[in-house]
Amino acid sequence: MQCFDAPCTAACPTHIDIPKFISMIKSNNVIGAAEVVKTSNALANTCGKICPEEVFCQSVCTRGKQDSPIWIRELHFFATQHEKEKGFSATKAFPKSKQNVAVVGAGPAGLGCAFELAKLGYQVEIYDGRKPGGVPRNSIPSFRLAVRELESDTKFLSRFFKLKTQSVDANRFEQIRKSQEAMFLAVGLGQDRMLGVPGEKLKGVIPVLKFLEKAKANSTSMKIGKRVVIVGGGNVSLDAAATAKRLGAESVTLIYRRSEKEMRVWKGELEEARKQGVEIRFLINPVNIVGRIKAQGIRCRQTRLSRQKDKSGRQIPVEVAGSDFVLDADTIIIAVGQTIEAEWLAGVERQKGGYVKVGEGFQTSVPGVFAGGDMIAGEGTIVQSVAHGKQAARAIHEYLSAK
Amino acid sequence: MEYRQLKEIEIYPLRDLSYDFLGIHFENPFILAAAPSTDNLTMVHRAFEMGWAGAILKTTSVEGTRVDLAYPMMSTFDHEGRKLFGMGNIDLISEHHIDTVEYNVRMLKKEFPEKMVAASIMAGRKEDWQSLVERLEKAGADLIECSFSCPQGNIGEDPGKMLAQSVSATELTARWVKEAAKKIPVSIKITPHVTDIVEVARAVKRSGCDALTASNSIQALMGIDIRSFAPYPSLGGKSTYSGMTGPAIKPITLRTIAEIARNVDIPILGTGGASTWSDAVEFMAVGAGVVEFCTVVMHYGFRVIDDLKSGMSHYLDEMKFSSPAAIVGKALPNIVMHDDLPRRTVRSHINEKLCIACDLCYIACRDGGHMAIDQQPSRVPDVDRERCVGCGLCQHVCPVDGCIEMQVAV
Repeated sequence: MQCFDAPCTAACPTHIDIPKFISMIKSNNVIGAAEVVKTSNALANTCGKICPEEVFCQSVCTRGKQDSPIWIRELHFFATQHEKEKGFSATKAFPKSKQNVAVVGAGPAGLGCAFELAKLGYQVEIYDGRKPGGVPRNSIPSFRLAVRELESDTKFLSRFFKLKTQSVDANRFEQIRKSQEAMFLAVGLGQDRMLGVPGEKLKGVIPVLKFLEKAKANSTSMKIGKRVVIVGGGNVSLDAAATAKRLGAESVTLIYRRSEKEMRVWKGELEEARKQGVEIRFLINPVNIVGRIKAQGIRCRQTRLSRQKDKSGRQIPVEVAGSDFVLDADTIIIAVGQTIEAEWLAGVERQKGGYVKVGEGFQTSVPGVFAGGDMIAGEGTIVQSVAHGKQAARAIHEYLSAK
Repeated sequence: MEYRQLKEIEIYPLRDLSYDFLGIHFENPFILAAAPSTDNLTMVHRAFEMGWAGAILKTTSVEGTRVDLAYPMMSTFDHEGRKLFGMGNIDLISEHHIDTVEYNVRMLKKEFPEKMVAASIMAGRKEDWQSLVERLEKAGADLIECSFSCPQGNIGEDPGKMLAQSVSATELTARWVKEAAKKIPVSIKITPHVTDIVEVARAVKRSGCDALTASNSIQALMGIDIRSFAPYPSLGGKSTYSGMTGPAIKPITLRTIAEIARNVDIPILGTGGASTWSDAVEFMAVGAGVVEFCTVVMHYGFRVIDDLKSGMSHYLDEMKFSSPAAIVGKALPNIVMHDDLPRRTVRSHINEKLCIACDLCYIACRDGGHMAIDQQPSRVPDVDRERCVGCGLCQHVCPVDGCIEMQVAV
C-alpha cells in the first residue's frame, strides 16, 4: 500500500514510519526496515512481539477499508528479528558533551527516555533494583514474551547509558536529585491493589503481580491449585488466567463485576483465554474469601448494571440482595489494579488514583523532576510507556537547554 | 494522551555512496529520468532535498515548437492484482521550452551545486539541436541527454519513426549535438526497438558523444476494453500506442544495457524499469554507471530514495564493496553466447521438507515439460530422474523459495 501521511504511523504512539519500513521489507532491505523501526521505538523487538496492534496501527489501516488490514506488527517483528539474527547495525556516535540526567526505573518508559536522552548527547544513569526491562521482563507471561525477546532490546540499548542495579529510597532520591541536572521517574505500578474483603490474608490468596512474577521466574516448577478463581476484568487478569491454565490448574474461572462490554481488555487476549478453557463469569462481586488457614472458596454476590455511569462512562454495578453463592477455589488471584510502590515519592504531587501528577512536558511538581509511564496515567501498554519516555526526553532537553 | 509526532533523531550513520562518472560527481547512483517528475522546479527541488543525486529535466525544445498533448495520457498494465506492473504514457515532450528549462537549470545549480542537473532535449533541425546544447551548457547544466527515441512521436521529418532506429540518422544528429557542446558531456537516449542495438551504440560512439542512455520506453498497446473495444488510454473511445515503462520492462532494458556494454566501450546511463535498489544493482552489474528512475517515483513519490540509499548501503556493506562504482560491469563476464554455455546434466530435486504439496510443479511438468514429475499419495511430488531433462520449469512455478533446485547429476 505505502499510504502517504499514513494513519498507522499517526496511531502508533512512537510514530514508527510504517509505510517506509514495509516498503523496505518489500525490496528485501530487511535490515533497513529494522533500522526504521528502531529509530522510532526503543523497545522495537518487544513491541514487535506483543504490541496490541488492534488498538494502534492495524486498527486504522487504510487497507482495512478495502478488504483486511495489513498485519503490521508481524512485519515489524519479522524485521527486528532478522536484524537481531544478522547482528545489530552499527549506530552512529552520538554527541557526548551535555549534562547528566538520571532515570529511575528501567522499564519501557525509563529505557525509552534514556535512549532518547543518549541520542541528544546526555550522559544517562538508570537506576533499577532489578535487571532492566520492567513489566515486560518481570510479569508479562513467557508465552506472550520470552525473556530473550526482551533482552534483544535491552542488550542493544545497554551500551547507550550506565545501568545501576540499585533500588532508590528517600535518601538516594534526594541525593540523585541534587547531583543531576534533571531526573526522569518511571517506576511503574509495583503494588497490587487488594479487594479489602475479609479473608484476603488466607493462604492461597495471591495478588496478581506476585503471581505473574513468580510464574515468569519459575515457570516450570511453580505449583498452583486445582481450582483457580481470578478476580478482575483487565488484561492483567487475563494474563493470570492463561498462566494458571498453563501451570496445570484444572479449572480457571475469572469473575468480573460488570459485563463483557465494560472489560478493558484486548479482544485477542480475551479470545485466547477462552480458547484455553478459561471460564469468564460476568456481573459477580466478591464478598469474602472462605476458609480457615487456607482459602477454600470465594463468596460472591451477583450484580446488575445501574443506569448511572461512572467517570469512565461505564455503567455502575450494584449488588443484587440475596444472590450470594460460593465458588470453590484453592487459589484465588486478585487482579483489580496496581498502585505506585515507591514511598520515597512522598514529596511529589499525586493526582486521582494515586498516579503522579505531571504537567505539559511530563514535569512533576518538583522542579527538574519528570515522570512518565504507568505511574502517571496507567495507560498500560509498553508502546505508550516508550512514547512517554521519548517525549519526556525531548521535554527534559528543552528544559535543560532553556536553563 | 496525545503523542506528538517529533522529527526523529537519526541513529544510523549514512554510508558514503558517492563516486565519479562521466567526470561528474554523483552523491549516489540514483537520478531522476526525464519525465513529469522533473518538469517542475518545485518538484525537482523537493527531490533534491530528499536525497536524489541528480535529475534530467523533462525533454524540452526550442521556443515555438508546437507541443500538442492529448489527455488522459496515462494507463497501466496491472497483473494479477498488482497495480502498475507496467505503465503506459502517450505524453510527448515538455510544454516548457528551452527558456524555462534554462532558468530551471540555473536555479537548481545555484541552490544545489553538488547535484547533477541535466536536461533532455529534442529537435528536428541541426540549428535547433545545436542551440539547445549551447544554451543549456551556458546555463550551467552538467549533462545533456538527447532523446532520439520517444516512441510516441518525434519532432522532425519522419514522424512516427524514432531517430535512434536509423543508424545513419543517429550518427549524423549525434555529431551535430557533440559539435555544439564545448565541455558538457552529451548522452544519447536510444530505443531497444532496433534490429541490432550494437550498431546504434557504435554509431553514437563514432559521433564522439560521451555516453548512451539505455533505454527508452517500450512501444506498447496497453489494453483494450473488451466491451467497448476502446484501446487504453481511452480518449473518447480512441487511443494510440503507448510507451511502456515500469517493472514489466526491466528485463528488456537489462538485455539492452548488457548487449551494449559487452560490445561497445561507452559509458551508459541505465534507465527503463528499475524500481528498487536491487534493480539498480542489476543495471550497474551489466554496465550502467548510474541509474535513472521514473515510474516508481510517479507511483510512490520521491520518498523511495530512502530505501534506494539504505538498501544500496547495506548491499555494499554485505559485498564489501567500497563504492557503487565497484558494481559496474560485474555480471558482464558471465553473459555468454548460447554456444559457449556449460553443458552439464542437471536434474530437478524437490526438497520434501519445504514442499507444501500444491502440485504446481507436477501440472507444469505434465503439460508443459516432460511428464517427469509423478503425483504421490503423500501429495509430495516425485521427480523421475530418467524422464527429467533438467529444464527448470518446475523450479520457477514452485511458490516456495529454495524448495526445488536443479542439481548437477553425478
